[in-house]
Amino acid sequence: MDTEPHPPPTRRCDGVSRRDFLHLGALAPLGLSLAGALRLRAQSAPNTARAQACILIWLDGGPSHLDTFDLKPDAPSEVRSPFKDIATSIPGLRICEHLPRTAPLMRHVALIRSVTHELGNHDTGTRFLLTGHRPTPALDYPSLGSVVARLRTSDSPMPPYIAIPNDAVGGDSNAARSGYLPGAYSAFSIGKDPSKVQDLHPPPGITFERNEHRRLMLAKMDRFSREVEEGPATRNRDAFYEQAYRLIGSAEAKNAFALGQESGAVRERYGSSRIGSGCLLARRLVEAGSRFVTVVDSGWDTHQQIARELPDSRFPGSGKLPSLDRAYSALIDDLRQRGLLDSTLVVLMGEFGRTPKLNALGGRDHWPRAGFACLAGGGVQGGRVIGATNPFGEFPVDRPVTPPDLAFTLLQLLGIDPSRELTTPDGRPMKLLSEGSFIHEVA
Amino acid sequence: MPPAVFLQNPIRASRRHSHQPTPFSTLQHPRGIFSLSLRERVGVRAARSTPRSSVHGPNTCPIFWKTIPSPLLALLLGALSLPALAEPPPFATGILPILTKAGCNTGGCHGAATGQGGFRLSLLGYDPDEDYLRITREHAGRRIDPDRPEESLFLRKPARQLDHEGGRRLPADSEEYRIVRDWIARGAPRGPADLRVEAIEVQPNDLLLPGKGQTAPLRVTARLSNGQVQDVTRLALYTSNDDAVADVSKQGVITSAGPGLTSIMIRYSGQVSAARIAIPYSGPRPTRFLGSDHFIDTHIGAELQRLHLEPSAPSSTATFLRRVSLDLIGRLPSPDEVRAFQQAGDSPERRRQWIDALLERPEWADYWTLQLADLLLLGGKGSNDTAIRRYHAWLRDQVASHTPLNQLVRSLIIAQGNIREVGPANFLTLANDPRDLSEHVGRMFLGTRVACARCHTHPSDRWTQEDYHRFAAYFARVGRSGDVIQVRQRGEVDHPKTGQPMEPKPLGASRPQSANSADNEPAADRRLELADWLTSGENPLFARSLVNRVWKHCFGRGLVEPVDDLRPTNPATHPALLDALARDFAAHRFDLHHLLRTITTSETYQLGSTATPSNRLDDRLFSHAYVRELPAPVFLDAVVQVTGVPHRFEGQPEDLHAVQLVGPQVPSVSLDVLGRCQREGPCDTPGQGGGGLARTLHLIQGATLQDKLSGGIVDRLIATQASDAAIVAELYLSALTRPAEPEETTEWTSLLGTAADRRAAVQDLLWALLNSREFGFNH
Repeated sequence: MDTEPHPPPTRRCDGVSRRDFLHLGALAPLGLSLAGALRLRAQSAPNTARAQACILIWLDGGPSHLDTFDLKPDAPSEVRSPFKDIATSIPGLRICEHLPRTAPLMRHVALIRSVTHELGNHDTGTRFLLTGHRPTPALDYPSLGSVVARLRTSDSPMPPYIAIPNDAVGGDSNAARSGYLPGAYSAFSIGKDPSKVQDLHPPPGITFERNEHRRLMLAKMDRFSREVEEGPATRNRDAFYEQAYRLIGSAEAKNAFALGQESGAVRERYGSSRIGSGCLLARRLVEAGSRFVTVVDSGWDTHQQIARELPDSRFPGSGKLPSLDRAYSALIDDLRQRGLLDSTLVVLMGEFGRTPKLNALGGRDHWPRAGFACLAGGGVQGGRVIGATNPFGEFPVDRPVTPPDLAFTLLQLLGIDPSRELTTPDGRPMKLLSEGSFIHEVA
Repeated sequence: MPPAVFLQNPIRASRRHSHQPTPFSTLQHPRGIFSLSLRERVGVRAARSTPRSSVHGPNTCPIFWKTIPSPLLALLLGALSLPALAEPPPFATGILPILTKAGCNTGGCHGAATGQGGFRLSLLGYDPDEDYLRITREHAGRRIDPDRPEESLFLRKPARQLDHEGGRRLPADSEEYRIVRDWIARGAPRGPADLRVEAIEVQPNDLLLPGKGQTAPLRVTARLSNGQVQDVTRLALYTSNDDAVADVSKQGVITSAGPGLTSIMIRYSGQVSAARIAIPYSGPRPTRFLGSDHFIDTHIGAELQRLHLEPSAPSSTATFLRRVSLDLIGRLPSPDEVRAFQQAGDSPERRRQWIDALLERPEWADYWTLQLADLLLLGGKGSNDTAIRRYHAWLRDQVASHTPLNQLVRSLIIAQGNIREVGPANFLTLANDPRDLSEHVGRMFLGTRVACARCHTHPSDRWTQEDYHRFAAYFARVGRSGDVIQVRQRGEVDHPKTGQPMEPKPLGASRPQSANSADNEPAADRRLELADWLTSGENPLFARSLVNRVWKHCFGRGLVEPVDDLRPTNPATHPALLDALARDFAAHRFDLHHLLRTITTSETYQLGSTATPSNRLDDRLFSHAYVRELPAPVFLDAVVQVTGVPHRFEGQPEDLHAVQLVGPQVPSVSLDVLGRCQREGPCDTPGQGGGGLARTLHLIQGATLQDKLSGGIVDRLIATQASDAAIVAELYLSALTRPAEPEETTEWTSLLGTAADRRAAVQDLLWALLNSREFGFNH
């Protein structure tokens, strides 16, 4: 069973008390670090889930369901997508004509067409989807990535949770962060350029030995200093140093970030767009042992000119849809060819769908009542369509799926029991999810 | 043929949230609104029990209901069950609250923009007229049947006598069911058209429960527009702002859960209120008092006493010098300054002089220009460099010349002209839509999030759609033509429902007398009236929101959190202190100097950050100083200060400090990775642990520190052949504002003494200091 006794309030959420932490810190020079201790713990709890990692492709801004995966060709012109629909590898399922590479891969994808909620702001909607909880001022819930980082520990020196380019999503800088969990479980934001992740290597002229020497000096210096009271902020800071040194110490881990090692053909396949490089890097990272990688693709808040902007943007074929199509299909294919699809859950979604009626500017506005999500790999049965919206894409008429349902399903696929509890810094036990249930159709 | 619901324009909600200028609204949808999930059942009982006798500590406020004779109380509680011969209850005040309490009109149910199952209600009942029509008239009135009221769809659905996705909301044996049934039987009358709830009052509104597991009932009364007062305890909605401290039942009974301070939000018929709940910590009543007669200490000290929190010891000289210098001017004290202060001896009077001296330094103006620029999102859009530089220069002039803050804000509100020439006119480029502009103004200067009321009555504040659009109407005639902000002859903000142009009106106040001229048009420029009202000493929100922000700057936590969410349902930890500070600020001409001096000279501000066993868990009552990470530009400037090596910003003068930068459009990888405010949205609540792993990797191996370990202080120390002990002493004093302790001196002098490469050893020591926990935090 995947539960653990709740640590008493004086203990850190990871079950290591402050005293232990200091103690471990003191032992670090001898080679036994907090990471090592966590590793020992991790080994004692084998996880039998098929999904070992998750890649979340986050379409930031709210992708239009009506112009991607839920077209309504028979609806009146004010609703109907300006795009045509095309056949896919699932008989009867048709998707947008600008997703031609994705269409044949739909047999590996479980498409949910009935995602629904009621939070129509980017920030609140994003929080709902990324945490599985309705936002509340009383408590910051951890994002799913942080929960996975916390509960699917591994002996890999890779940061467990990584965001490409960063974890600022949905106009809410905290939606993808660690909430009440220690900051150490927030994402490593790799920065603007996926092909050039900064500061992984010592600066010129600084040898590995000198770097290590500095590290020992720092540990000693922090032990001397009694000026700064231990608290959440200092514990976060300490944990980040711990994590940073794990990464710095592993050539293999650092190598995972080197996108340049991929052949030109592979890079071409994913596309040169940000989402393309992002998806390729994500594959390298989960391959190396990261648990949860979020690839953020911004620009889906399409209030105007859907007909032009989605396919073309700057020049024909440069828009959101072609680059998504290329990146998403390359990722699924690549994972499959490497035998990684079965152990990697790939999720494609955004914070909400968009208004059924096209607005005066030829765009669509926010519409949380209906949206889509694509799940693939990690034990998901592909080739399925779950739920449906009414003839105008306004709301689900079959099998409504809520954000907590999605979160529940995602956690369970990753081998985490959504009913288990974590502890807030003030010692309060909190269930991972307070509502939602497994979307049994996907598995 | 499209279904009916489509014909009724389901797109109503369309652009509503689309042009929110700011992403601050995360917390706009507090849990309460949606707390009645579909799966929840409302256990409505005909509860008429008199409240249990309360358990409260010696310092609690008088509890109102205790003074009510119990027969009268029973009568009040019974007011809902009207005798059959009395007037039928009016819809708006007698029936609609029942639906709200039962959760019928939440955003997840019939209160959604498209309704649910073909039946739509206004969110939390903000629009009684429309709700009445939908219930009684829509679909040819088939929802109700006065001849056979029990057969009404309107009852059979929520009683779950028919299939109802929302479950059983009004059990057929409940009091509420009976009230609705009788109302239908009597023809479902609407009642007086203009009858509404004018205010609600909760008793007790400030309550102390002496330990865990104690209960106390709340009592809520509503005053109607006809003068009638009703007990609405059973129909009000209750939400605890922190259920780790106190929980509240649907019937309004509070149960204490753990020590601390929180409040209960109470909502009824568009009106809101809050009750403040305190649960003392388990330790004994503190023996140490905050000794001074400073009004901040009086307020803070009283709460510490009440909640059994021992204040920490006063800060050491070094900690005080470092903290106050970082907070007031964003810089570390120099070793010479520290030595001079130490030599003269520490005393409250010397600390006061030190504060006064800091306030006169040019760096003070730099740093507070930065604070205001972050608040104003100056240059966040970064479209016009010349204009932004002009704006920044203007702002610094205002700060440096001690312009009262209300005057400064006034200049922003009423500015016009070419943005390349008139600095403050840039404020009006924050948004093109008057509604967006008014949301910025509400957030920045009133600490109020009005955006909810754009589409529906604010669920946890008092603002209606009319309030919102009338407030926005002040900016209806501000236009931009190229680079020029100008006032136009026409331009209106229309009410989204009626389509009627709205006459401007301040938030939560009536229009000033002078405005009621013949044509009801305030002046050539509507904004003058807004500016007068906004920045007046009488405005309850303006001064409070500003002092709250400055308080947060100095303590790491506002008296109200979040700082842009001052509302009746989110009370301050110390409401009387917030008011006193606001009054004092207004009485002293909104002088920032005065406010900062007031705060930093208090004993509370000067407390140490080392917790005592009794106050370790406290994070909001200011029993000790809370440690805070240095903000990105302050950290960078501190690194420059300690190393003596300037940081070059592209296209900027060499000696420019990071806090002096005009804005984020000046590129800086260092500041980005350290986590500066990008000014695209509010930076009121920086993410915890600022920057995380990327920042840490950068500090360990990045160029920002590495490039500053050569030249500067390292070269100077090596060149002057300073002794090992002198090097250690100098570096510690410079980076940490304190002398090295003997064990530190021993350790590092032996390291320097045995180093093969002395220069490298000094570099490494400096590197470690700049990476140390103590350097990175203001404590």
